[in-house]
Amino acid sequence: MTGSNYGPEVAGRRQAPAVGARVISVGGGKGGVGKSFLTANIATCLARAGHRVIAVDSDLEGANLHTCLGAPAPVESLADFVAQRVDDLGKLIVDTPIPGLRMIAGTHANLSDAQPTHLRRVRLMRAMRRLQADFVLLDLGAGVHSAVLDYFLVADEGLVVLSPEPTSVENAYTFLRAAFYRRMRLAMVGHGVRKLVTTAMDQRNERGLRTPLDLLREIEAIDSADGARFVQTMREFRPRIVVNNVRTAEDIKLGFAVSSVCRKYFGIEAEYLGYVNQDDDVRLSIANRIPLVEYRPKSDASIYLERIARKLSITGGQ
Amino acid sequence: MKPLDELDHYEVLEIPPGAGFDDIERAYRMTRAAYTEGSMALYSIFNHDDAAVIRNRIDEAYRILADPEVRAKYDAEEGITQIPQLDQPGAPIDDAASAARLGGSGRGSAGSPELSAAIEVIDDLGGAIDEDDQEINGAALRRSRLRKGVEIEQITDVTKISASNLGYIENEEFDKLPASVYVRGFVHAYARAIGLDADRIAASYMTRVDAVRNSPTR
Repeated sequence: MTGSNYGPEVAGRRQAPAVGARVISVGGGKGGVGKSFLTANIATCLARAGHRVIAVDSDLEGANLHTCLGAPAPVESLADFVAQRVDDLGKLIVDTPIPGLRMIAGTHANLSDAQPTHLRRVRLMRAMRRLQADFVLLDLGAGVHSAVLDYFLVADEGLVVLSPEPTSVENAYTFLRAAFYRRMRLAMVGHGVRKLVTTAMDQRNERGLRTPLDLLREIEAIDSADGARFVQTMREFRPRIVVNNVRTAEDIKLGFAVSSVCRKYFGIEAEYLGYVNQDDDVRLSIANRIPLVEYRPKSDASIYLERIARKLSITGGQ
Repeated sequence: MKPLDELDHYEVLEIPPGAGFDDIERAYRMTRAAYTEGSMALYSIFNHDDAAVIRNRIDEAYRILADPEVRAKYDAEEGITQIPQLDQPGAPIDDAASAARLGGSGRGSAGSPELSAAIEVIDDLGGAIDEDDQEINGAALRRSRLRKGVEIEQITDVTKISASNLGYIENEEFDKLPASVYVRGFVHAYARAIGLDADRIAASYMTRVDAVRNSPTR
């Protein structure tokens, strides 16, 4: 998801990928589909492959990445950066038992802490890029809160995790739709066009804008320059799909079907990055607070996780 | 982004204009499955009518592209220049097609469309993986099978080898398997069904069987 035409809000995204950490966000809308599990294990795989990796728990309301990684419950966390009690993100980094892998935990924010402002979020993303690391893996919270969407959109790569169940698929689409429209709105310049995008975000809008394509047609009618920006932004929005908890060949194929639907409905390329099979050892590994790829390195699920990590490290470096 | 009715048949099937016949077959099966009635991937995005319209387009695209003569006529009418890619490994091709081709040894012999589709799915995601298994044992076979997303029952469908014998092969329960000459045939068929180098796999696996069966303690 690189590109420069994304909008003034996130103009701070880096232009030269050779410098700084590559930020990979792991989202997907639904709670319990394994975002933290995947973040912890992909981070571990990347670290074992010799990369310097920092895993960041941005899920302040349901922080548990430190548990997945076997790191102690931290005294200070991302919440302190967000609430401006700590100014240097680097000071929040703690070690994990895995060599090469460090983390920034996200233990519960003070209930009195306000939601971070948009500016604060942009600052956070900039600070993450400046961390001394090759990869920063960002575990996102559930839901489609604007903070979650911003972290997802500003990262260099966004993974959308889903499991083969209708509820999860539905939430993944809700998440993608929200991220898509938010990104589109940020990319639009004309005030009227922006308002139109906001209208289209509501699926039951009065203007009858059912699909992104309907919206594009309206935008082109109002302002051809914004229409061109819309198409360009569509091309740059390239989330990648991961299906977790697969049991059958049919489940595996779901990722391809979702990818096809993304293409035909949103007009976006959402590559199917990989899948991880359902494995009872996953629960045991979490109970033991050891990433599965360390706990059962020979298991099928570990092999699939490694494959995802390998693919991530090879591709997308752009 | 183009609306469905402006997509050409290649775009409907999500393949490049130079796609070979195997790619067309595979793309048809995958997209058809994606938009089938009740497909989970449509949930909350496309309703029944949308899906039916897309299915019709997919069927139509396949009808035209699968027939070389009709396809040539269509290409000419649409001004689509085909860059023949099938036998040119260096030609620019999209990821999925290239992955399918690279991992595609022995493809097409498996018989069952479902199985082929499942194999191709996995090839897309990582390519052949057996090269890191030096010696082929039952566990390695099983891993390869799972990586390819293939169920034992699917191999039984294709090879007519019983599920229990396939299970004995994976679990290396050699005492429950028939004479070695049969076992070699089973392993060969198993490997071929999941798109592996059957000769190499069977030879490697049989050294294990022979080592156990010829050991003096038995």
